[in-house]
Amino acid sequence: MSHYTRTQSQQHPTQRQFNPYTENGGTILAIAGADFSVIAGDTRQSEGYSIQTRYAPKVFKLTDKAVLAVNGFAADGNMFVKKVKQRLEWYRHAHSKDMPLRSIARLIQTMLYAQRFFPYYVYNILGGIEEDGTGAVYSFDPVGSYEREACRAAGSAQSLVQPFLDNQIYFKNQTPVLGTSHPTHLPLRHVVQLVIDSFTSATERHIEVGDGVELYIILARGRGTQGLDSFKDVQELTPHAEGERLFVLRRELKKD
Amino acid sequence: MNTVDMQQLKAGEVNLGTSIMAVQFDKGVVIGADSRTTTGSYIANRVTDKLTHVHDRVYCCRSGSAADTQAVADIVHYYLQMYSQQYGAPPSVHTAATLFEKLCYENKDQLLAGIIVAGWDREVGPSVYNIPVGGGLFRQPWAIGGSGSTYVYGYCDATYQEGWGKDETVNFVKNTLALAMSRDGSSGGVIRLAVITEDGVERLFIPGNELPRFWEGKEVLGQDMNKTFTHLAQMEIEA
Amino acid sequence: MDSSNIYKKSGFDFSNQIRNNFLAAKGVPVPKATSTGTTIVGCLFKDGIVLGADTRATAGEIIADKNCEKVVNPSCCGAGTAADTEFTTALISSNLELHSLSTGRKPRVVTAMTMLKQMLFQYQGHIGAALVLGGVDVTGPHLFTIHPHGSTDKLPYVTMGSGSLAAMAVFEAGWKAGMERQEAIDLVSAAISAGIFNDLGSGSNVDVCVITKERTDMLRNYIKPNERVTKERHYKFTRGTTAYQSENIRKYIVDESITYLTGSATTATTAEEAMDVS
Repeated sequence: MSHYTRTQSQQHPTQRQFNPYTENGGTILAIAGADFSVIAGDTRQSEGYSIQTRYAPKVFKLTDKAVLAVNGFAADGNMFVKKVKQRLEWYRHAHSKDMPLRSIARLIQTMLYAQRFFPYYVYNILGGIEEDGTGAVYSFDPVGSYEREACRAAGSAQSLVQPFLDNQIYFKNQTPVLGTSHPTHLPLRHVVQLVIDSFTSATERHIEVGDGVELYIILARGRGTQGLDSFKDVQELTPHAEGERLFVLRRELKKD
Repeated sequence: MNTVDMQQLKAGEVNLGTSIMAVQFDKGVVIGADSRTTTGSYIANRVTDKLTHVHDRVYCCRSGSAADTQAVADIVHYYLQMYSQQYGAPPSVHTAATLFEKLCYENKDQLLAGIIVAGWDREVGPSVYNIPVGGGLFRQPWAIGGSGSTYVYGYCDATYQEGWGKDETVNFVKNTLALAMSRDGSSGGVIRLAVITEDGVERLFIPGNELPRFWEGKEVLGQDMNKTFTHLAQMEIEA
Repeated sequence: MDSSNIYKKSGFDFSNQIRNNFLAAKGVPVPKATSTGTTIVGCLFKDGIVLGADTRATAGEIIADKNCEKVVNPSCCGAGTAADTEFTTALISSNLELHSLSTGRKPRVVTAMTMLKQMLFQYQGHIGAALVLGGVDVTGPHLFTIHPHGSTDKLPYVTMGSGSLAAMAVFEAGWKAGMERQEAIDLVSAAISAGIFNDLGSGSNVDVCVITKERTDMLRNYIKPNERVTKERHYKFTRGTTAYQSENIRKYIVDESITYLTGSATTATTAEEAMDVS
């Protein structure tokens, strides 16, 4: 008979380590139109089963024609946005103009990849207007892989929202009625409605989505506000109607 | 040979991180306990009664897992009822304590239970038995148990004297538990006491705001502590 | 124990355990049981007990049921593994009925509590039922919490589940001894609402159950503070949206022609009428 007695914890050594990341829930979403772009995110920030705050913006204005949505670890997200804004300010001082959208996208890629081995735990979606006046959406993974798309959902309810978008924007699994075809770009009013419905639906079935939603709408230079007039409480963030115009639309979501 | 880690609570299990005590005196025993039951850092019950009746003049103080100690106490309660029916007389405290010890020892790999059995019987009068985690049966003039007890062994050793009456013993238990509760985070709430004598069981209750108080650092913080704090609060506003 | 089936013992069936452990070791994910991240509460008042529960059932972070019933039994609310709470309470409720029949006495709350704690202790926490048990019997009103490992507490106001901290905060601030019926219902509703709005595991509606000596009132969806909002668009697909590869139409209505072998239709009717008379 052995004189050694071992406890279970000795048999299976476990190493405990500080985890620098937290998942703060929420969902972001962006859709590009022909001459506009809509970027949205809910405003709930949570940790586990607790709500940290019912209003923590996840969508940020970068320039008059570029908006960035960040989702994942809120502390990293806020710090990342801060650093992107700083780089854009330096660009403005050096070149006396705002950085073009495609360049911001490439800048974000390099900034994310710089942290390849200690990444920002954040999914980024960049929306805005390109130099040619078209609406654009760029989506990123946490280490900087990106592509331009027509629409993208990210965050905790991505698996609920993206299939809905695939069906309603790309018309996946929908055959056109004989003699007609699906439109390549949807009108602004239609897109805003889809975004709002995406969030009210995600709120119904996902515990981390709720409290409020913020939609940023960017219109290309010279485009009127048609499609936006039917929504109340739309607030304009740009001081004048020349150039690209940026609007924000806020809606309440269920708080349970 | 493999042994499982005995003194480990299962995830989510309700714990009686406890301060319990029993002291013998000339006419009977005084038993006492704090009232805190915790699950992790949450207080699941702040007015728990850890002094459990197992027979007319025999009680136990429970510490360890709430589920385990309740189950063991229920079984002993059942056995003692059967005993008194069969023999037509109440069981001795030693009989009750032996039953507890048997259950705790034979199921030591499945239980987390530290129990103090105390009471009065016709054979020996008042007696206190300690059954630590894992089993073992020790008759003692006084016994303390639970996570809070580690803080007050010195106090008990220095204070206890033979030949006390009821009031002195009650005060000793009250003071010991108040000291244990103030140092141990898993103990707290109110103090529940019971005095078991030949004549009956008298239950006593000390609310949380009427616990005995000891040195609280007034010499260091100043006599009027409210004044000090008001001063600090104002400084914060000014800054 | 005797069982109705001579080939199969009563109780849990462990015959898949070895296979499932093997699969789990191979890396096959173990199926997750629906856990009701919950707020359930109970509260003593002048004439009895008020129980309360939210109505959200979750599977991970997805809401599986927006309006489920957690007042499993008119005297018991369940938190934890949904299946465990339902089966344990059903089993004990059945055994309690048999016990009552054999003793010829009305069942008591402590009896239900003891049966539940003994069963849960036997299973060492593997049955993940966390219960709030309340009721009024011949000895008066009683309120208990029962934890999955089999420990119980008897208190004048109790909460359980992931929203228990939020709900308990409301009770600790507002509970008084000897409350009126409506006062108690309001307090329980406030406690459940605190869970619904502050705990992500709880949500949707407030269910209330009032138990007095005379009667039990189940107030299902007593408050509905989280109605679904109307959508901005209608999502109706036009006919022909769904693609198909082949078409096959079958006729299920069988055409029948009736040929009368004797006489005409009119004579047959007359014959029937004649039979009715006789």
